[in-house]
Amino acid sequence: MSKRGYFTPAIVALVLASGGVAALGRNADSFSPPTLSDGTPDFRGIWQARTSAYLNIEGDPGGAKSVVVDPPDGKIPYRPDALKQRDKNFQNRASADPAKNCFQAGVPRTVFLPKPFQIVQSVGHLAIVYTEDHAYRIVLPSSIPHDDGIDFFMGDSRSRWEGNTLVVDVTDLGDQTWLDAAGNYHSDQLHVVERYTMLGPDTMRYEATMDDPTVYARPWTVRLLLYRDKTPGARIEEDECIDGEDGVWHHVPPTDPRALRRHDFKAELAAAAKSQ
Amino acid sequence: MFPPRSRRPLRRQISCRTRREIRRVSKDSKLRRSAIGTVILSIALLSVWRATAQAPASSTPAASVSADKSSIPRLPDGHPDLQGLWHNDSGYQAMMKNMRSGKGLAVALADFHADGFPLPLPYLPEADRVREYRKLHDAYHDPEGHCHVPGVPRETEQPSSLMPFEIIQDEKYVVILYEYVHDVRIIPQDGSSHPKRYWAWDGDSRGHWEGDTFVVDVSNFNGRSWLDMEGNFVDENEHVVERYTLTSRDAIDYTALVEDPTVFTRPWTIHLTLTRNPAKDQIVYYDCHEGERDVQHYTQSEGNKANKHE
Repeated sequence: MSKRGYFTPAIVALVLASGGVAALGRNADSFSPPTLSDGTPDFRGIWQARTSAYLNIEGDPGGAKSVVVDPPDGKIPYRPDALKQRDKNFQNRASADPAKNCFQAGVPRTVFLPKPFQIVQSVGHLAIVYTEDHAYRIVLPSSIPHDDGIDFFMGDSRSRWEGNTLVVDVTDLGDQTWLDAAGNYHSDQLHVVERYTMLGPDTMRYEATMDDPTVYARPWTVRLLLYRDKTPGARIEEDECIDGEDGVWHHVPPTDPRALRRHDFKAELAAAAKSQ
Repeated sequence: MFPPRSRRPLRRQISCRTRREIRRVSKDSKLRRSAIGTVILSIALLSVWRATAQAPASSTPAASVSADKSSIPRLPDGHPDLQGLWHNDSGYQAMMKNMRSGKGLAVALADFHADGFPLPLPYLPEADRVREYRKLHDAYHDPEGHCHVPGVPRETEQPSSLMPFEIIQDEKYVVILYEYVHDVRIIPQDGSSHPKRYWAWDGDSRGHWEGDTFVVDVSNFNGRSWLDMEGNFVDENEHVVERYTLTSRDAIDYTALVEDPTVFTRPWTIHLTLTRNPAKDQIVYYDCHEGERDVQHYTQSEGNKANKHE
């Protein structure tokens, strides 16, 4: 079911990609975003990427463009040994992809999944709530130092404003998350710097620079667009995987009737009596 | 029909959870020891902090809660400002009572309710038999043992003293970010109603203000949640009304009215005091499911096999 759910957005992404690329240039920063009462740019809302980067950051021969903008060849600058590991990951992706276990996807993978996330903001507070596995990040100001020596699946985020751009410094990421579904990966030395810039009322440019000297020959950068979900009543749905009879965890959205378990006390007690 | 109480697998389940909790913060044994030390140190520090802090009275009936209107922080829209990091002080008190009575940390964390939890719950006869069976023979299936989100009101009521939650609030939403299993509730306060086809562990929460009290109506549950590790449960017909009242800068009076006509004979109410954490505290992400190294044994099929071996 999750496969089918992921496939449709991929097609939509391919169609939309051609129109989105023009707006991605770095010199289109003239838009002044709305502000909170203290003048901080107001990024509140439900946002979602429309790209196939979640399948493969480097794009694919079928025509999906790489979201890697630096280096210019669109390839992640792996060290030679690390590239071998990536290829191994790709071969084993059906079972080795951590996301198959409904694990939180990490940064930056969570940002460009085909599921929306909500930026929650008030004066002095900022958090990002993702649909996928109800992961969230509490983004503290950079004046509070990073936690040291503890790894988290979603890392440890600190932010500052550079003009109207939100810059988030992410450390304490572990080595158990991947970058996409194609085996692109990082180690626990990964350091991510994200840059969020609103380009218009409903569009945001997302940039992330990945530095991980044990895996990459040099830092590299992805750039993509995020779009505001303007659907009336749009929400972040709960996404709690259910452990199935088949030994695999499944995303079952709360709108799927299979999410509901109607009580049947007679049957439960009868089964209980039988098993004793 | 049922074996004696001593055979229930409660302790084993707790030890699994404790191990997982420790794994989440550390990779090697040196760090692991320091993680345990941190937990113990946290309890000690919290005790010191508690002893020097004002202990708010928690016996005030919900209906008569009234805040000192001048002393509570407010947002520009005039509503009380609930933002910050909070924990269940009533649960903390119960945990410390258990600790002092000589129970181990794991049991103290798991095997109690705050005084504000009205045990025994008023079950219908058949539902009570289900509760008894689950308690004695089916503790394996407590969803929390599988890192599932606890549901409402368990997320707030359970011993969250060491696992606080952060509230972020604007004029449109009150968002509650729980440290425990990175559970999160985004509660709109726009007068919207519950959706039709939506069934979730945390249900669907819609909030509104009654004077200075934030009232949350929670419906659309998926029928899978337990209320504790002792077999207490609710089904898909659960409906909760939560009331959050800021009674001072550092205390929230919390009540949850729980009704479930297919499980209970009448509605019942939880009453707790939530206390603000010290300013330096922050959420420490709780990667529960991710830390489990034996995921395949946490599935229904393996669990059913395990139950048969009890």
